[in-house]
Amino acid sequence: MIDKGKISAIQMAYIMYPTILATAILLVPAITAKTAGRDLWLSPVWASITGFITVFIATRLNNYYPDMSLIEFSEHIVGRWIGKLLGFFYLLFFLHITAIIIREYGEFIVGSFLRNTPISVVMATMVLVCAFNVRGGVEVVGRTAQMFVPIVLFLFICIVILLIPDLHPKNMLPILEHGLKPSLMGSLVPTGWFSEFILITFLLPCMTDRNKGTKWGMIAVATVMLTIVITNLASYFLFGALTSTLVYPVMVAARYISIADFFEHLEAFVMAIWVGGTFVKISMFYYAIVAGTAQWLKLSDFRPLTLPIGFILVMISIWTAPNLQELVHFLSSVSPFYFLSFQTVIPALLLLLIMVKSRSRQSRGT
Amino acid sequence: MKRLLQSGFRHPSASDEAPDSLHIQQVPLSAVLADNLQRMHTIYTNCPDVVFRSLYIDRSIQATLIYIEGLSNNDAIDKSVIAPLAQITIQPAEAIHTVIEQQLTVPKITELHSIAECIDQLSSGCPVLLFDHNAVGLSFNLAKWEKRGVEEPTAEAVVRGPREGFTESLGVNTSLLRRKLRTPQLKMMPLKVGRFTQTELVVAFIDEIAEQALIDEVLRRLERIDIDGVLESAYIEELIEDAPHSLFPQIMNTERPDVAVANLLEGRVVILVDGTPFALIAPVTFYSLLQSAEDYYQRYTFSSTIRWLRYAALVISLLLPSLYVATLTYHQEMIPTSLFFSIAKSREEIPFPVVIEALIMEITFEALREAGVRLPKQIGAAVSIVGALVIGQAAVSAGIVSAPMVMVVAITGISSFMIPRYSAGIAIRMLRFPIIMLAGVLGLLGIMLAVIFTVVHLCTIRSFGVPYMSPMGPMKARDMKDVLMRAPLWMLNTRPHLTGDGNKYRQAPGQKPDSNRGSE
Repeated sequence: MIDKGKISAIQMAYIMYPTILATAILLVPAITAKTAGRDLWLSPVWASITGFITVFIATRLNNYYPDMSLIEFSEHIVGRWIGKLLGFFYLLFFLHITAIIIREYGEFIVGSFLRNTPISVVMATMVLVCAFNVRGGVEVVGRTAQMFVPIVLFLFICIVILLIPDLHPKNMLPILEHGLKPSLMGSLVPTGWFSEFILITFLLPCMTDRNKGTKWGMIAVATVMLTIVITNLASYFLFGALTSTLVYPVMVAARYISIADFFEHLEAFVMAIWVGGTFVKISMFYYAIVAGTAQWLKLSDFRPLTLPIGFILVMISIWTAPNLQELVHFLSSVSPFYFLSFQTVIPALLLLLIMVKSRSRQSRGT
Repeated sequence: MKRLLQSGFRHPSASDEAPDSLHIQQVPLSAVLADNLQRMHTIYTNCPDVVFRSLYIDRSIQATLIYIEGLSNNDAIDKSVIAPLAQITIQPAEAIHTVIEQQLTVPKITELHSIAECIDQLSSGCPVLLFDHNAVGLSFNLAKWEKRGVEEPTAEAVVRGPREGFTESLGVNTSLLRRKLRTPQLKMMPLKVGRFTQTELVVAFIDEIAEQALIDEVLRRLERIDIDGVLESAYIEELIEDAPHSLFPQIMNTERPDVAVANLLEGRVVILVDGTPFALIAPVTFYSLLQSAEDYYQRYTFSSTIRWLRYAALVISLLLPSLYVATLTYHQEMIPTSLFFSIAKSREEIPFPVVIEALIMEITFEALREAGVRLPKQIGAAVSIVGALVIGQAAVSAGIVSAPMVMVVAITGISSFMIPRYSAGIAIRMLRFPIIMLAGVLGLLGIMLAVIFTVVHLCTIRSFGVPYMSPMGPMKARDMKDVLMRAPLWMLNTRPHLTGDGNKYRQAPGQKPDSNRGSE
C-alpha cells in the first residue's frame, strides 16, 4: 500500500459527502429542472440508485482485494497488459474529470465574484492549496474534511432556514403531472455525480474498520441524496419554473437572505464557505490521481507527484472547454454516459469478471 | 539550501574541542590528598569563588573541604561539618569515611570515587570533603543559594485558583508538583542537558496513566539534545518539537503547578527545567492552547460560554482586519447600506487603499505591543499614551487612517489577547498579515484559501504522535465534551483519548450531585 495513513469509515463518509455535493449543489437544480420540471425533487432519488450500486460494487471489489485500489486490482482481474491499459485510461479519465471540476469552480468564482481576475489564477491557487492537502496523505484529507463538512453543512441548513419566508410550496403541485418519465429523464445527469462514489475504492484500502465501509458508504449516498432533494425543492419553491433558466440557483437564492434587514447580499460569504466544500472535493479527486499514478508506476511514494500533477490539472482545466456554456452543455449531454461508463459500468464488469473467475476456481478446486 | 545551511554550521565533533581538564576529570580519586588537590586546583584555576579549606580530622588526618562560595549554606557547613570533624576520634581499625558518615549530622552524604563526581557535586552546591590516605571523597547535601520565593505567576493570572507559580529552582518546582500529587506513582526522571550549563531537567509523569511509548519518545528526544547551554525551557521546546517550521506551538508551557498537575492527570508528560519557571507540557492539541486553568474553577456554564467567546475571539483576531479589507475592496454589497455610507464618509479623505491602511495600522499596533512588553514599566505607560493619542486620535483627525479602521485594529488586538496561551496568540497574530494581503488580492476567496491552507497545516502536524487538531479532526466524540463546552466535572469521567488510554476512567460514574442524597 502506498499510503500508510489510516482513516475510519466515518471519515470516508465525511470526505465523500462534499466530494459529490460541492459542485452538484450548484448545477444540479438547474439541470434537473430543465427536463424534470416540477418533479425535479424526485430525480436525485432515482439517481441515487446509481450511488448505492456503485458503493456496493466498490466494497465488493474491495472484499476480493482488501489492500488494493481500483488501479491495482484491475491489473489482477484482467491481466497485466490490459490491466495497465485500463489503469492508464482511468488515470486519464480522473485527470479529465478533476480538470472539469476545477474549471467549474473557476468559472463559478470568476463569473459571479472576481470578474476581473484571470481564471487561471483562481484555479491555480485552489490547486496549490489542494496539493498541500494531498501531500499530507489520506489522513490529512480525512481530517480536513471533518473540519470543513460541519461548517458547510451548518451553512446549508442556515440558508434553507433563512429562506423559509420566501418559499412557496405550492410550486411543486401537481406532483407527477406527466408520470414518472420527466423525473427519470432528469435523473440522468445527476447519476454522473452519484457514480463518483467509485472513488471510495481509493479510500477503502486505508480504512481501519473496513467492515463498516459499506454501511457508511450507503449513509453518505443517502445524505447526499437528501441534500440534493432539499436543494432542488428549495430552489423550485423559490423560483418555480424559473429554476431551469438560472445557472446557479442556490447562489441566487442566497441573495434573498436577509437577517434583520441588516445582513443582506451574503452570497459572497456563502461562496467563501462553499469553497471549503469544493476544496475537499478537488482534494479527493486529486488524491485519487496522485495515489493512482504512483500505484500504476509502482513508485514507493506518491508525494513527489503531487505538484507536477497539479500543474497538469490546471493546464487541462484551461483546455477542457472554451467557455462555461460549452462546459454546461458537455455536462448535461455527454457526461452522464461518459462518467457512468468509467465510474460504474467498468467497475461492475470487473466485479462480474472476478466473481465468475473465483466461482470457476472454486468449482475446479472441489 | 537546507543542506548548505547544515554543512555550513556543522560543529566539530565533541572530542576535538574537549579541553585538557576533561581528561583529568576521568581520573579516579587518588589515595594521596596532595595529588587530588593538585588536580582540583588545575581544574579550578582562575575560579576565585571555589574555596579550599584545609582542616585536620582527629588532629592527625589531613583533609580539605571544597565548596563554591554562595552555592552552599555557610552556617550549616560551620556547624555540622567543620566543628564536628574537629572532635571526631577515629579508631585505627575503622575506615575514616564510614565514621564521618555515621557521626556527622548532615541529612545526606554521598561517597565520591572520581574527580568528575566531585566536580558534579561542587557545581550543584554540595561541599566536598577529601582526605588523606583514602581514595574516597564525601559530599554533603548543604546546597543553598539565593532564589526567588514562590510567587503568583504573572503570565497566567486567574481570579479564582491557586496563587502559587513555579520558580527558577528545580527543587522547589518538583516539590510543588509533589505537594499536589502525593501518589508515589508520580515519577520524575532526572536528566542533564547542556555541555557547559549542565542544566538539570526532570521529566515528570504519572505511572500507569501516561503511555510508556510517549515517555520513551520524550526521553529519546531529550537524550538526543547536545548543545552547549540551556537557559530556558524554550531551548528544549525548540529541539524536541515535531514540526520545527510551524508557526504553532506543539508544546505548551506553563508557570502554574495546578495546570501541570491537571495535564499529568490527563496522561501528559511535564518537563521541568532548572533555571526557569516555565514547565513544558507535551503532547498538546490546538484546543488545549485555547483553554485556561480557570475554566475548571468557575461554574461550567460560565466556562463554556467563555470558551465560545474565546473561539470567536480566535476567529476575530485572525480574520477581522482581512474581512474588513475584503468586503470594502471587493464585496461592498455585503455591507448594510447605512453602515456603508458612514464608512465611506470616514474614508473620503484617506489617501491609502484599505489594504495598505490595514497593514499600516496592524504593524503599528504590533510595534506598540512589542515596545510595551520590552520597555521598563514606567516608560511602558508612556508608550501606551503615545500610541493611543498618536494612532487613535491624531492619525484619524489628520486624515491618514479612518476611524473604522482604528476600531477594527483595536477589536482585533483585544481579541488576540483573549487567547490564554501567549505562544498560540503569536501564531495567530503572525498569520494575520499574509491573510490581509491575500484579502487585498483575492477578496473573500483569498481569505478562505488562507484559512484552508492553515487548517490543512494544522491537520498535518502532530505533537508527540497526537494529531494537533484532535478531537476535531480526527473526530473523537468522547473528547468533545471538553472542547465544544466545558462539561461539568461529574461528566468528565474519561481521560482524553490518545493520552490517557491506559487508564481510561478518571473518576467513579454517577457523581452528579442531587438534593435528595442526604435523605436517602
